[in-house]
Amino acid sequence: MPQAKVYVIDRVVTRPGCAREFVDRYLTEYAPGAQSRGMVLDRILVSPPIWFADDSNTITACWELSGTQGWWEMTWKGRPDRTLGQWWAEMAHLIESRTRSMASAAHDVDDLCDV
Amino acid sequence: MFKVTRLVHLAEGSTENSGPLSGHIRTAITGAERVLVAPTLPGSRNGGDLLVHAQFATEESWAETEPALDAVLADIAVSHVDGVDYETEAAPPAPRRPGSVYRTLLVGVDPTTPADVVADFEADLLSMPRYIDTITTFQLSRPRRAIGASRWTHVFEQQFTDEQGLMGPYLMHPIHWARVDRWFDPECPEFIVRERVCHSFCSAPSPVLA
Repeated sequence: MPQAKVYVIDRVVTRPGCAREFVDRYLTEYAPGAQSRGMVLDRILVSPPIWFADDSNTITACWELSGTQGWWEMTWKGRPDRTLGQWWAEMAHLIESRTRSMASAAHDVDDLCDV
Repeated sequence: MFKVTRLVHLAEGSTENSGPLSGHIRTAITGAERVLVAPTLPGSRNGGDLLVHAQFATEESWAETEPALDAVLADIAVSHVDGVDYETEAAPPAPRRPGSVYRTLLVGVDPTTPADVVADFEADLLSMPRYIDTITTFQLSRPRRAIGASRWTHVFEQQFTDEQGLMGPYLMHPIHWARVDRWFDPECPEFIVRERVCHSFCSAPSPVLA
């Protein structure tokens, strides 16, 4: 049986006028390293879909991983890399608030909890 | 109950000394109500080569034996020791199943963390046994004294059914990776455990937490 996909979701509320720069830097600076750790970028959503000059946007990046084992392999690769935390710290001037959460499809919840 | 844990790292090339050293440690620890001295199992991280855990009726009982244990751990075969001394007021929950593996996790929370956030972190740790039934019993404590690589702020002891219960369900259940791990992940805004943790476990044929 194929492993249930799991998702890493970054939700970032950008400072007014900073959404485009944040997305550009996320894609060019953050994404290549994430992909090397096994993360597959599903999509990046911008809400509302306007590059505001004087208001905040909410950016949602959704990454796929191949099951729980893939999640652990990703995090074990990233955990010793101090540049990851530094990258997020460098982005602080673009970010009003952010969350990172882990998720799955609803139909996979029972399987994931049946360990 | 006053408890003491030492994670003993042996110097390179000294692993053949672990047997005699274990004997010396057992001999040094007098007056304890319970003593565990065992080689750590593969999969421990920063967990040392020997896990030493002793429980005393009072801190005074421990104080009487501490110099003898310190003298043994000053052995040339010992390269490093991480450890905690801590008092537990309440007994851990009664084991719900037999357990054969004892695990201890030493954690250092960033000292600037607000108290309410530390409380959320502790609540998350304590929620894990509700979802992972291979944890047979557990106890979370704040050390009175920390030694070694970090200023340990928490010690989370667990008894597991067996090694598979630790390496399988404990790691793989979403309560771990999708909820609790955020406190340990530098990419999560909740990140508060900024220094390396000690994750150490060993076989324990008789109950350690009881």
